[in-house]
Amino acid sequence: MIGYLIRRILQAILVTFFVSVITLLLVHLFPGGPIRALLGPRANATEVAYYNHLYGYNKPIYVQYIKYVGQLLHGNLGYSVKLNQTVTSEIASDLPKTVVLVFLGTAVSLIFGIPLGVYQAVKRYTVTDYVLTGVSFLGYATPTFFFALLLVEWFAVDTHLFPAFAPQGTTIGAVLSDPQALVLPVIAYAFLLYALWSRYMRSSVMDNLVQDYVRTARAKGASERRVLWVHVFRNSLISIVTLLGLSLPTLVAGAIFIEVVFNYPGMGLAFFQAAQNVDLQTLLGFTLLGTAATIIGNLLADVGYAVLDPRVRYS
Amino acid sequence: MAPLLEINNLQTHIQLRQGVVRAVDGVSIHVEPGETLGVVGESGCGKTMTALSIMGLLPTGGSIVGGSIKMSGREISALDAGDMRKIRGDEIGMIFQDPLTSLNPTMTVGKQIAEAVLLHREVTHAQAMDRAVEVLDLVGLPQARERVGEYPHQFSGGMRQRVMIAMALACEPKLLIADEPTTALDVTIQKQILELIDDLRQRLGMSVILVTHDLGVIAGRADRVVVMYAGKIAETTDTGSLFSNPRHPYSEALFHALPEKAAENRERLYSIPGIPPDLTNPPAGCRFAPRCRYVTDRCREEQPPLAGEEPGHLFACFHPVGEAEHGRTGTVSAHMPEQAPGPAPSQADGAGEVLLSVENLVKNFPVTKGVVLQRRVGWVSAVADISFSIRRGATLGLVGESGCGKTTIGRLVVGLDKPTSGSINFAGKDLAKSSGRQYRRERQDIQLMFQDAYASLDPRMRAGTVLREPLAVQRIGSRSEQQRRVGELLDQVGLPRSAAERYPHEFSGGQRQRLGFARALILSPQLIVADEPVSALDVSIQAQILNLMRDLQRELGLTYLFISHDLAVVRYLSSHIGVMYLGKLVEVGLADEVYLRPAHPYTRGLIDSAPVPDPETELAKVKAGIVGELPSAINPPSGCRFRTRCPLAEEICAEVEPPLRSFPGTGHLAACHFPLQSPMQTETITAAEVAGP
Repeated sequence: MIGYLIRRILQAILVTFFVSVITLLLVHLFPGGPIRALLGPRANATEVAYYNHLYGYNKPIYVQYIKYVGQLLHGNLGYSVKLNQTVTSEIASDLPKTVVLVFLGTAVSLIFGIPLGVYQAVKRYTVTDYVLTGVSFLGYATPTFFFALLLVEWFAVDTHLFPAFAPQGTTIGAVLSDPQALVLPVIAYAFLLYALWSRYMRSSVMDNLVQDYVRTARAKGASERRVLWVHVFRNSLISIVTLLGLSLPTLVAGAIFIEVVFNYPGMGLAFFQAAQNVDLQTLLGFTLLGTAATIIGNLLADVGYAVLDPRVRYS
Repeated sequence: MAPLLEINNLQTHIQLRQGVVRAVDGVSIHVEPGETLGVVGESGCGKTMTALSIMGLLPTGGSIVGGSIKMSGREISALDAGDMRKIRGDEIGMIFQDPLTSLNPTMTVGKQIAEAVLLHREVTHAQAMDRAVEVLDLVGLPQARERVGEYPHQFSGGMRQRVMIAMALACEPKLLIADEPTTALDVTIQKQILELIDDLRQRLGMSVILVTHDLGVIAGRADRVVVMYAGKIAETTDTGSLFSNPRHPYSEALFHALPEKAAENRERLYSIPGIPPDLTNPPAGCRFAPRCRYVTDRCREEQPPLAGEEPGHLFACFHPVGEAEHGRTGTVSAHMPEQAPGPAPSQADGAGEVLLSVENLVKNFPVTKGVVLQRRVGWVSAVADISFSIRRGATLGLVGESGCGKTTIGRLVVGLDKPTSGSINFAGKDLAKSSGRQYRRERQDIQLMFQDAYASLDPRMRAGTVLREPLAVQRIGSRSEQQRRVGELLDQVGLPRSAAERYPHEFSGGQRQRLGFARALILSPQLIVADEPVSALDVSIQAQILNLMRDLQRELGLTYLFISHDLAVVRYLSSHIGVMYLGKLVEVGLADEVYLRPAHPYTRGLIDSAPVPDPETELAKVKAGIVGELPSAINPPSGCRFRTRCPLAEEICAEVEPPLRSFPGTGHLAACHFPLQSPMQTETITAAEVAGP
């Protein structure tokens, strides 16, 4: 297992390297080059040439890349001209807030999705099951931003139960000091995920309930409750773990729609704004971070798999 | 003594969307303390549903609608869930067919066994675990204490079934229900497991209900037998009488369909026509009437009662066969074996040129480690230096336990895998050397027939399209010519022409195998590689397919490479038998010579392990068979690969690999230092000589 982990980490470094090459090349794909994109159509050739020289975009691409990687190795993800701060400091202030939102949202979705999925599987093809299935399909089908707006309409505009905006503090402390304001963004974020978990859990438990080993457990005299929670549950979780690992990148990338609708100052909103403003360094830095998160998420999913399923042993 | 289990007029229905399946319809069974009751029948006859009714473990939609089940005098069919749970696993234990899927993959075997103890006994976890080790020891698991913390996938198939038995016996039940306990296992392991169940029955003084489709399994193990057909009991008696004097035409037909009985003179197998009735709408009279050769009008209108002349021998038939016990006379068995018209070409040894010759064939599969770099850490030696040849019109049957490499040989011959080294000569050409268009053309002459006909057919393709596809791939004939050929072939394999319009799921198992056979034949091949073509079929259907394969072999001059684990089937169909063990051909020769006078101890062991549907033979060979399990092919044993399980092995067997030597008979070869008969000459046979005897 240790050897496997080391190999996977080496592999992750390799993938990150390739992604860094690709993202850097993407910057040069802007029509007229990155500086033209930054300065806009009105800038004249002299200005473009000046800034190209200033940021080193006129140098050969491999020189630029070596410089870029050199910076990365020093923990320097670049400097955002638009925001007049380093990308690292941007991430330092936005990331914790996103982590709070996504973590809470995922936790809420799991707390409801997993047990209700199991419940639906046990009560399959009953009215309760059909109603909950309907709710899940609604969760799948409703665009996140639309559901978020509905929440705002019902709970903020109509009833004033919760504020329409997310906590606006710049620090993580400020965000957490206003928990009421977090409620609607977290619910909006959790709904789609809830639909996902409950559907997967329902079909996973149903698949497992008809397995031969369940019959064996019953033949031993195990009660239905025991069959469900001791035997079926763990086997059913195996498929969920992969999904959970794959959802990890959103912890970093943020929930763009939610953050935009609620004006929540996290990674998603920052990324959205950077895209609108052609803030290349921010986009580059965030993409790289997202890559790393994706790779780590996959790795954690595989490890979780091995923990739950003894048949999967990595050597 | 009062019976331990008494079932009276049991009726179990399964509610489906299409209607109600009368899975068990008026079955009465009793089991005495300490006896083994065999319940035998083909798939769908209700034997498993009877067992599950006793356990109260019927599938969704299933329920007991009538009758009674009494365990030690207490009615258990109407108990509530909680009381029934107290009986399951404590008073009645059950083991199932597939030990891999029947164990929880994410729980250690120790915990799974301990669970049964904890559910029924007031013990601590540690005590339950100790009990788990104890029963694992009891069922013959080596190093039980060390292995109790392992997961099911870390055990071999036979060991998993031992774990299942340990679990069922953890609370020392009075009754063990074994539902096809050895169907998923190799014959050598099957014998070990059946012996274990028998031994434990005696030691623990319990009763056993042995549910199986295999009359051979019943023969040596059961005291009494119940033969079931279409949800009803056709016949019940003690094992000896059933085998010596079956009275129900269905029992009789089952015996006549067995290849074991016909292998000696290779007469045509009796195949029961048609398929079992649909139990949502069973026939009014005797359920066997539509397939029975003695049927009269009375059978179609009236249900025969279960009765007989002797109290111990009951059968449900108006026109019983066999010898009457007293008084009335039974219908004289009309079993007239159709003799095969002259010797099949397959038996004409020495005739015909060599069609397929395989020389020094080796296939190694790499064992890799790692996800990215796939470092090779070893080889699985699947086929290790094998040579054999088949003459045109002959049938070579390859037998051996699973993992012996027989399927790999089939794949290599058909060209699905490339050999690591060695050559495969077909009609004088080396197949390994051809490529491209030539390769594809040569492939026409060698076709494959699969075990699982259903899985090998595209479920979204109509039968006609399935059959036409090879012609289209090879660009043979116009569309209408292709369709005509499909029609001809459907006639040949005994399917109606209208079958071309149907989808695979609309056929029965036997019909699907006919379809698979037709697909193999459509390109008019010379050689057919048949990989376990009948092992998924019931015995009556198996007989139909085996007859068909023999008829068409004679008619079309086909050559077969017939791969099977079932020695009786191989012997029935093959002119020559090759016995494989762990990638090696250990013995080859004419079918009867290998079967009747085996030279290799492994062949002997295989023959002894295979259950024979004859109680006297079965009881006589109690201690024969093969010990242990197939070793890994990654690092096969040095010298003779069989030496780790061989009763005759000596030091030389570990050091020197035994060469193939000639034995009395035509081309009878075996590779053993201590053969069971003396070889003809001392010099060894080279591979080249083996190829062309």
